[in-house]
Amino acid sequence: MRKIAKTRIDDVLRALAPRYDLYVPVEGATTMRTPTATLWQEGLENASRFRLYEEGLPLYWRTNTGLSPKDLFFPQTEKMYTAISQGKTVEIKEESTNAWPIILFGVRSCDIASIDCMDRVFLQKGYEDTYYKNRRQRTLIFALGCSTHEDTCFCTSMGIDPKASPTADVQISDLGDAFGFTAQSPSGQQILASIDSLMSDAYTAQPVSPDPMLINVNLEGVTEKLETMFDHPLWDELSPRCIGCGTCTFLCPTCYCFDINHKSPTHAHIVKQRSWDSCMFVDYTCMAGGHNPRPSKTERVRNRFLDKLLYNRQRHGRVFCVGCGRCVSKCPVSLEIATVIQKIQAAEVTP
Amino acid sequence: MTNQPLADNPNTSGQEWDPKILVFACQYCTYAGADLAGLSRLQYPTTTRVIRVPCSGRTNPQFVIRAFQKGFDGVLVAGCHPGDCHFATGNYFTRRRYLLMTRLMEFVGMDPRRFRVCWISGSEGPKFQQVVTELTDAIRPLGPNQKLRDIEPSVIGGISR
Amino acid sequence: MNENIIQVPDKSGISKIMREIAGDLLRQQTISLVIGWEKGILPNKSAPAFITQSQDAEKLIFDEYCYHNLTKYLLQRKGSGLKTAIFVKGCDSRSLVGLIQDNQIAREDICIIGISCPGLMEERNIVIPAKKCEICYTSVPVEYDFLIDCPETKTANDEPGGSYAHRELPRVENMTLDQRNIYWQKMFENCIRCYACRNTCPVCSCKECCFDQANPTWLGKGNSTSDNGFYHLVRAMHVAGRCVGCGECERVCPMNLPVMLLNNKLSLSIEELFDEPPASLSLDVTATLNHFKPDDPEEFM
Repeated sequence: MRKIAKTRIDDVLRALAPRYDLYVPVEGATTMRTPTATLWQEGLENASRFRLYEEGLPLYWRTNTGLSPKDLFFPQTEKMYTAISQGKTVEIKEESTNAWPIILFGVRSCDIASIDCMDRVFLQKGYEDTYYKNRRQRTLIFALGCSTHEDTCFCTSMGIDPKASPTADVQISDLGDAFGFTAQSPSGQQILASIDSLMSDAYTAQPVSPDPMLINVNLEGVTEKLETMFDHPLWDELSPRCIGCGTCTFLCPTCYCFDINHKSPTHAHIVKQRSWDSCMFVDYTCMAGGHNPRPSKTERVRNRFLDKLLYNRQRHGRVFCVGCGRCVSKCPVSLEIATVIQKIQAAEVTP
Repeated sequence: MTNQPLADNPNTSGQEWDPKILVFACQYCTYAGADLAGLSRLQYPTTTRVIRVPCSGRTNPQFVIRAFQKGFDGVLVAGCHPGDCHFATGNYFTRRRYLLMTRLMEFVGMDPRRFRVCWISGSEGPKFQQVVTELTDAIRPLGPNQKLRDIEPSVIGGISR
Repeated sequence: MNENIIQVPDKSGISKIMREIAGDLLRQQTISLVIGWEKGILPNKSAPAFITQSQDAEKLIFDEYCYHNLTKYLLQRKGSGLKTAIFVKGCDSRSLVGLIQDNQIAREDICIIGISCPGLMEERNIVIPAKKCEICYTSVPVEYDFLIDCPETKTANDEPGGSYAHRELPRVENMTLDQRNIYWQKMFENCIRCYACRNTCPVCSCKECCFDQANPTWLGKGNSTSDNGFYHLVRAMHVAGRCVGCGECERVCPMNLPVMLLNNKLSLSIEELFDEPPASLSLDVTATLNHFKPDDPEEFM
């Protein structure tokens, strides 16, 4: 492991920025608890999130960001192509792709696990999503091990190690006053070699360990139990609390649903785009004829949690919750996955 | 009416540019007033589009915002003078609503010169001419409206280089 | 009405009385559901609770984190003919009055258990008072069947304009037109249109919202600064004159946007223009945009 003092981390970023699109976690009003206007006047963000590195950005190293990095691979609204009519012909303009490499710097274990979830959906299911793939395949991941956590974090319950992400290209460890860098892939090794002069050796240093998390849920047997719980009264008990907003799905780093729609900026243009959709919205399953197979909140709430904990396990081989705690912190009515897992564990099932 | 798409970027160079104005005209007064202006051969800017509404009270505030989204440079909501409403009280509600709406639009940074509400009766053809001309003249130096405008679906939060 | 006012020595006693009242109501079987708050997954989090069995009434609590305005949940019971008991703080009681005025719920179908509110804390925080308390107009419920009266009730902000004391309002009002535009563009750009502000708003009571309608499509699923602006401005106009300033929209915003600011600006304008009391303080006052006076200010001649 090689290390650099935390105060000199900007040197590393400055060295990487010209060669890569360097995305770093930046502070937001949520984490700073400052009036929003002050932040905006100073060009800062309202919620901590990943931004393209610029000199002087206030970087956020404490815990995971308020917004997950999923929008870097899967933007909320993404242009697919433009159709332009000229007389009797229609020209289709595809969105251009490029090969400029991206570094996602300082991503937490939970978000890296979520990128694995997204890969399973967009790349490994027999087809490849070109828009996702274009960004994903040129991205190098610098994982940052957690030395502390939000009170809403529960990644350990989901079987994720907050200090290590074996799939990342480089693992950064929090050594107290320094960051330690370990390469975990050939490309990671190359990059580290190129900035090696900035760093010194850290053979004996031990990464700081986070305190035990406040939320602990037991995932054991949940999937199997849910297989029998489609008609369980639990869903009627849970769903009245839901207000049907899209906060959980939009903040969730593993939610991948989208809707394809278009816009006509002029009568000669059609822009095809895809945008995030949320299974909590009434119109999500609404069909052209007006029929809605999930007419009430009960079905929608049930679907969301079955999807996270059961269907995706069957379809993609893992539970689609990474314990990042974003829904725990932001659900307006605390109907989040940790509570729901606890209730599922407590529910009585008649065989 | 012209076939020119409303959201096309107007030519801003030189003096040729005329702001596009959308008028929501109540059927019983302002629309008749506009008709009278036409019958009387009163010249007013040709870039004015009129939408007839049953009552100025029908003009939902979201119509106004939509007009700005779609590329209009100015919006006029016009109806009968208070007391003259065909439906007796419709325009009193319009008045309350748009007193608030003008303040809201100004609060979010929309130039107040771009958005006007005015009472124009069926006999006030010259007033219709005067109001739309004034509105056009006031907006011309401001240039095309960019605020709230939906120019291109933008990629939010995505990687683009 | 006096026998229905229950005094408690301090705020820690509120929960006990809540459980007693809820338990009694459910045992008498006049009420089939009590909506209140229960402990959440973390010590400084609470969650809405739906109690149907008298023994479950023990779950009910009241603490600094019971910021949820529960009145919107009553719409789920609309048309069922069933009686519901609901706990309200001062701010929530105003939105309840608003729902009754809008004929969304019938007064006789609900049993209102008011709590004179000792003040709330910001979510997952132990020192910062909740933002919604800064714009508090009445900490004592304006309408109730039972009142749990707590001596620690915070003094409400009843000077003119005081109830709109959003900390950003003067700052934004003092900006130039273009600065304001940049400010709001930034807000619209950051909005993810999760609709939490709309869905939690107790006066947004339409069965189908115009933003969800497929025909005509006012808003598609796409997220753009312009469409987000359309959403926020239209939403502000839709609740103008009915917004009770409960602050739920801003509390629930996952992006930390000043959502309530637009509503506060409109409420302030209403006070200046029409000389009317803040919305839904009593059942006999009509919402500002639902009536008019012939001598309203005239600016459109």
